[in-house]
Amino acid sequence: MIRSNPEELIRKNIARFVDNEIIPIAQELDNKGEFPRDIFKKLSKMGIFGIRYPRHRGGSGGNTTLFCIICEEISRGLLSVASIVAMQSLMGTNFLFHYGTGEMFEEFFLPAMRGEKIGCFCMTEPDAGSDLGAITTRATEVDDGYLINGMKTWVTDGPEASFYTVMCQTDPSKRLRGIGYFFIPRNLPGVSLSSRFQCLGTRTTPICEVAFKDVFIPKEYRLTPEGEGLNAFLKIIAEIRAMTAALALGLQRAAMADSIKYANERMASGKPIGKFQLVQSKIANMATNLEASKLMTYRATAMIDEGKEALKEATMAKYFATESACSASDECTRIFAGYGYSMEYTAQRYFRDARFLLNGGGTHEVLQCNIARWVGI
Amino acid sequence: MNIVVLIKQVPGNSDVKLDPKTGNLIREGIDAIINPDDLQALETAITLKETLGAKVTVLTMGPPQAIDALSEAIGMGADGAILLSDRAFAGADTWATSFTLGKAIQRIGKFDLILAGRQAIDGDTAQVGPQVAECLDLPQVTYVFDIETVENGYVRVKRRLEDGYERIQCSLPALLTIIGGPVKPRYPEVASLLSACHAKAPIQVWNAADIGVTTADVGMSGSFTQVVKTFAPKFERHGELLEGSAVEVVHNLIERLKQNKLI
Repeated sequence: MIRSNPEELIRKNIARFVDNEIIPIAQELDNKGEFPRDIFKKLSKMGIFGIRYPRHRGGSGGNTTLFCIICEEISRGLLSVASIVAMQSLMGTNFLFHYGTGEMFEEFFLPAMRGEKIGCFCMTEPDAGSDLGAITTRATEVDDGYLINGMKTWVTDGPEASFYTVMCQTDPSKRLRGIGYFFIPRNLPGVSLSSRFQCLGTRTTPICEVAFKDVFIPKEYRLTPEGEGLNAFLKIIAEIRAMTAALALGLQRAAMADSIKYANERMASGKPIGKFQLVQSKIANMATNLEASKLMTYRATAMIDEGKEALKEATMAKYFATESACSASDECTRIFAGYGYSMEYTAQRYFRDARFLLNGGGTHEVLQCNIARWVGI
Repeated sequence: MNIVVLIKQVPGNSDVKLDPKTGNLIREGIDAIINPDDLQALETAITLKETLGAKVTVLTMGPPQAIDALSEAIGMGADGAILLSDRAFAGADTWATSFTLGKAIQRIGKFDLILAGRQAIDGDTAQVGPQVAECLDLPQVTYVFDIETVENGYVRVKRRLEDGYERIQCSLPALLTIIGGPVKPRYPEVASLLSACHAKAPIQVWNAADIGVTTADVGMSGSFTQVVKTFAPKFERHGELLEGSAVEVVHNLIERLKQNKLI
């Protein structure tokens, strides 16, 4: 029986989309800094947002590995578009898919898969990031529902979203054990947004603060049952970190490809700069880090797809691949030298965008502590 | 309506090597894409399916990795696909290819329209579509960029000319070769791509016996033409600096342009 390999087939087709539809306008999109509606619509037509969800429930029938392959390829074109895809396919819709009622599924999840509605995830607060036990956004039980009060920040896609999955504290005395996820449509009274953040990189990705003041939601909008919030978080965090590693892989590939092309073209002292050993050293390091990142990332996704515990592997992959992306984009600007400092070339964009990856899914300062603890410190 | 679309996998870049013995392109192990005109034919067929209702079957001849082109076709919306793959088909010229495709279409049986790309970007012959029509004794219209109507046993199309277009009505069944039109080929849906990878996907693989041909009729044995020699053209540029006064240099330059028949 001759059949195509699904991973190669998906990668090849997404790569074609990226080469034809994203890369030619990536600089323009980044300069404009607007939400890429046209590309978002095209990606929804391809069923990209449903890649992690089963086909019989509105998804495309893939898995985490395929999802990360897609993230990697799109990130190779423009990291900010890939981050929007990641939010819509994973954090923004995951809890709605698993815990939402049939009515919520019809009204919000399926339109999100079709790209008609945008979902996003509100976790970080002004005074609580990696320290999730310290979140103060409060869900207070009242007759027939909950009142939500608090403030979330660094909400990726917040300005464009139709609905939010919000991590709230239900009982401050329980700290992490008291957290839960709540579904909040944007149009409810009491929901307000800050203006869009001006950021260093990923300029098409809109980010803002979202405030909730006495927002009343019905009981069914509590997504995770009491006591299950932390478990739900632990279930998704490995996938979030593997996805971030995949985004970093795409950025590494873009930075390395442009560096190689430039090093082979740019002449200095009568020969291409790629003939100089110090430039070769930079390229060799990029290639080696890329290969290691790839192996770590897809080992983690394979474990997730097999239903294995993969938090350690995904955390290491996120940490290593992101640091490698920062290093590759830095070296890329050095290989481009003066042109690396020019806004007309891609190197500066890779350099700025790479910083986006450092914090999402946990800062590296926190992740290193986790890794050290897991190996016996 | 039943539509058969003929597609071909072609090298996706110019880094292609030739077999020094046979002179044929070495297709194994290179990045391959669906030939652009064939992709347009496929888009045309799927648009017809959506607007008029049709069953779209895609047919290709090639090595096992050509299965990817068929999976992509399923991803775009084709209902079924057939890969003609047999060592006996290797080395076919355009005639042997057309004959083999024609025999496969006869085995498919029911069809109203056969759509093919105008030409493939690797061989650039534009012969296979028209020859398949001859094999099957069908009317054909080439260089079609728009299908206006399909009704009452006729298809009405626009055919591109150098300085305009012809509007042609043709009886069915017929073969049309397609060129790029106003509609850009769609990208495949990921769910359909994944379905195409399943064992139960509607993709069949046929060999020479399946289409009732002997090895003498197909592949290199069935070809009327043989590649005697192939070579990659070498493009070399030489720069020359003209010296002297401005007047001398201009005269010199004009003389050289005349010698090279450039003015």
